[in-house]
Amino acid sequence: MRSQLWGLYVREVLRTFRNPFVVLVTLVQPFMWLAFFGSSFNNLAAASGKFGSGSYFAFLLPGTLSTSMLSVGMFGSMSTIQDKRFGFMKRILITPTSKQTIFLSKAFGAATRGLVQVPVMVVAAIVFGVSFPLSPIEWTGWILALLLLAIGFSSLFLAMTAPSTDWQTPGVVSNFITMPLMFASAALFPSTSFPSWMQAISNVNPITFSAELGRSFLLGTSVDWMNLGYLAVFAVLMLVIGYLVSARWLKVE
Amino acid sequence: MNAPAIIVNDLSKRYGNSHGVLALDHVNLSIAGGTVFGLMGPNGAGKTTLIKVLTGISDITSGTASVAGFDVKKESLKVRARIGWVAAEVILEDDFSTWENLWLQARLQDLKGWEERAEQLLQYFGLLDRKDDKVSHYSTGMRKKLEIALALLHQPTVIFMDEPTIGLDVATRRMLWDIVTGIHKEFGVTILLTTHYIEEADALCDRIAIIDRGRIVAEGTPSELKSQVKSDIVSLETSEAIDSSILSKIPGVQEVRAQGNDWIIQVAASEEFLPHLFATVRPDEIRRISVEKPSLETVFLQLTGHRIAEEEPMHDIRKFYAQMRRARA
Repeated sequence: MRSQLWGLYVREVLRTFRNPFVVLVTLVQPFMWLAFFGSSFNNLAAASGKFGSGSYFAFLLPGTLSTSMLSVGMFGSMSTIQDKRFGFMKRILITPTSKQTIFLSKAFGAATRGLVQVPVMVVAAIVFGVSFPLSPIEWTGWILALLLLAIGFSSLFLAMTAPSTDWQTPGVVSNFITMPLMFASAALFPSTSFPSWMQAISNVNPITFSAELGRSFLLGTSVDWMNLGYLAVFAVLMLVIGYLVSARWLKVE
Repeated sequence: MNAPAIIVNDLSKRYGNSHGVLALDHVNLSIAGGTVFGLMGPNGAGKTTLIKVLTGISDITSGTASVAGFDVKKESLKVRARIGWVAAEVILEDDFSTWENLWLQARLQDLKGWEERAEQLLQYFGLLDRKDDKVSHYSTGMRKKLEIALALLHQPTVIFMDEPTIGLDVATRRMLWDIVTGIHKEFGVTILLTTHYIEEADALCDRIAIIDRGRIVAEGTPSELKSQVKSDIVSLETSEAIDSSILSKIPGVQEVRAQGNDWIIQVAASEEFLPHLFATVRPDEIRRISVEKPSLETVFLQLTGHRIAEEEPMHDIRKFYAQMRRARA
């Protein structure tokens, strides 16, 4: 399985980064969040005093990166559906490769693609005046949190789109998942001012765990490492679900 | 004769629930190792379904099958390590170079030390100097060659070729025929190919099974199959309806089949039949006439009652125009 997983993973990554348009979107999209959303809110946020000590950019960055991990899941699903439609899934499966291996390669491939946004966003944030603490443990923890989030969400997307061969499915699933999870989280605004039902969602939303971990690191408050634990549980749970669903329901064509 | 490379035992495949399409209907086959075996039949006959079942892409509804000595259902991974597959539509990783495609295939087959074999294959197919080129820049013929090289990389026992020449121009088709014959000799691999081109089955295959509506209706060497048919086929289109009993009464006529004003008449010898025909049916009533000597096409026609290249769409178009005329009138 290792040989097949490595081959398919490399394929996912190379395919993504050999497409200049994909690279452009991957890099520009998170930057635009900071530029447009961040700039529009920066003054208001400073006036309200509810966004911690730094600028709104420092508050927003960990949140935006967390929501970006939602969209990479969609790309993993789209590449799977493309493989089904173009027959590549058959080419893979007429070798000693299991459906579960295909699932894992797609999930890890999508997660890798998500993590590439981190250095780009960090540079963009520096441009917008955010300063980063130099503590290796917390850097590692933050990146690990994003990785777990990306693996969890790409697994979730892959599981939900496993039986489909329709190009439109990932978009539909994405619309269904992205909006509630993005806004019912601490990614863009502090959840303390949410109505209680949204707070309830936010408190169990993995995006909140990742955003809060990154935020406490960036804003210099003490990091709650339990967030990393929750994210690990989320990632493992989604991986297991995706693994089982793929074995049973991953359609070939 | 070699031990069978593929054995199919009373195999049925139904898509969907119990009311779904029965794509394979109690198929039995035994394909000797080291041979080129052709599965010939019209579109929708079940050829591709049989390949899907034998390669483990589709489940079996009932019956058993083994490939390269392993049960298709119970030992799927072992089967898949011993087979190669060439798709009707060429499927390659277009963002990759030739060598990267081979690398990926080697990974999928979990091969060690595959590089030498890969270079030999590229040499054999004349692609060695293009090994770093992106395959999206390749011609159809080159893509097809690379796909066959991928199928051969892990030294498989059996190669499945699903309609290998569909949609190819005549020159590329001839080239592919040479390749099939060549790799069969060079690498000693068993080849199961499907085709609806009669001349292809005739030119390439040691043995042929004729499949129609999910059933194997005949099997044998091309010459055995042709010798089954002793009669000629006369196809006739008349301008007006004629009574079929007139045709059946002509000496030497074995069978008369009609579809509107189109007639397919099976006769012992067309040379003797034609003078009688012209004496019976007025020549100005005959719009079109053709005579076929025994061939795989006539074998198919005789066994199934219809042609491999279906003519129904033409009838539909005629019906459609007839309706249009009536609607205008």
